Amino acid sequence: MAESKKLSYEEARDQLAEIVSKLEGGQATLEESLALWEKGEALAKVCQDWLDGAKAKLDAIRPTE
Amino acid sequence: MLETISESPVPVRVISEAIGDYLGRLGPVWIEGELSEVTVRPGAQMVFMKLRDTSADMSISIMCHKSVLSAVEPLPQNARVVMHSKVSWYAKNGSLSFNVKEIRQVGIGELLARLEALKTQLASEGLFDDDRKKQLPFLPKSIGLICGRNSDAEKDVVANATRRWPSVNFEIREVAVQGSAAVVEVSAALRELDANPDVDVIVITRGGGSFEDLLPFSDESLLRLVADCQTPIVSAIGHEKDSPLLDLVADWRASTPTDAGKRVVPDMQEELQKISQLRERSFRHLHNRIEFERAKIAAYLDRPVLKAPHTMVTSRFDLLQNLRDKAARSMGHLIALGREDIAQLSTSIRTLSPQATLDRGYSVVQKKDGAVVRSASEITAGEELRVRLAQGEANVTAN
Repeated sequence: MAESKKLSYEEARDQLAEIVSKLEGGQATLEESLALWEKGEALAKVCQDWLDGAKAKLDAIRPTE
Repeated sequence: MLETISESPVPVRVISEAIGDYLGRLGPVWIEGELSEVTVRPGAQMVFMKLRDTSADMSISIMCHKSVLSAVEPLPQNARVVMHSKVSWYAKNGSLSFNVKEIRQVGIGELLARLEALKTQLASEGLFDDDRKKQLPFLPKSIGLICGRNSDAEKDVVANATRRWPSVNFEIREVAVQGSAAVVEVSAALRELDANPDVDVIVITRGGGSFEDLLPFSDESLLRLVADCQTPIVSAIGHEKDSPLLDLVADWRASTPTDAGKRVVPDMQEELQKISQLRERSFRHLHNRIEFERAKIAAYLDRPVLKAPHTMVTSRFDLLQNLRDKAARSMGHLIALGREDIAQLSTSIRTLSPQATLDRGYSVVQKKDGAVVRSASEITAGEELRVRLAQGEANVTAN
């Protein structure tokens, strides 16, 4: 999962979307599904970190009303 | 040229004659200028006056017979005139004087015609072209202001600019804004301010006035100077309807001094508001963008494959169960079928098997080779035969 750290927000989000559609496609083997799921979770975290970071920066300057 | 050397100088009279000779060659001339300091002594035949140049700071003293002057009276103050005069040299005391034979006032019509001619001339030279116009600075370090002495025009420009941008600063030059001195003083101020690096824009302004009053602002030398200036020039002369040629050469024409004051500086409040609006809009955009993306991620996480990943196991487990059930059921089914088959077979064997007949007392005779004997004729005496009875069998020999 290390490499997912370098991903940009958009890359992580798009890969997450791909994983979801693969899982929903139902063609993946159990082993693949497990791996996909794990990667999906990691990517989701990356996205959330990006968003939380951005929000924090914004709030630092302008606490949301 | 008169060659002289210090060792053999020439007497005064030679010089004087030479000057008289030069001037004589000039002959009578038509001179244009502005009449001023007209002094008429009671009873005197001759009248003395000064004729000032309209652009340069120069003048000549002239005299004429009082009838020459009265022929063109009444003349307004600083009248623009054309004179026919011979230059006379009074050798006795080495003084020069202009003896004027005829004076004519330059009328408005004439002035207008001259102005139009100048206008077409300057236009043909491209001095009025748009691409020459320089951009006014958004926020000038300081504003050059050339205006009449404590005139309303000055107050209007300063008041309006200061209201919009309180920290504006001016370089004010109060000069003559009409009459022959105007061109000279405005030009001097213009050169000085144009050279000043801190002055980013120069406003030339004066209040309303007569056609003659505004004439200096259509003066060719002033217009050419304005055209050559590096600093952008704003012309704010007279009222809305007044339009001296300066308006055409300047980089921007203000209809009134007030208009000029407003144009040269931005409105502080307006600018501050614009900035805060921009900050607000960029913050709003970013905020919405984050919310939008957050929702998107949440949506992904809500999808069953991620929200309840166990399904990948349980669904397979169910599938497995399902398959096993199916297997079990089909096995059961097969077994049942098998049993049925067996049952049928056994009954059919039973029905087909001769046992029942044997039970009823019949018996089956077979030859050695197993063939069943159906008629006595098939038996030969002494032949060994097998007899199958309900219970067991016996070997017999035919007799």
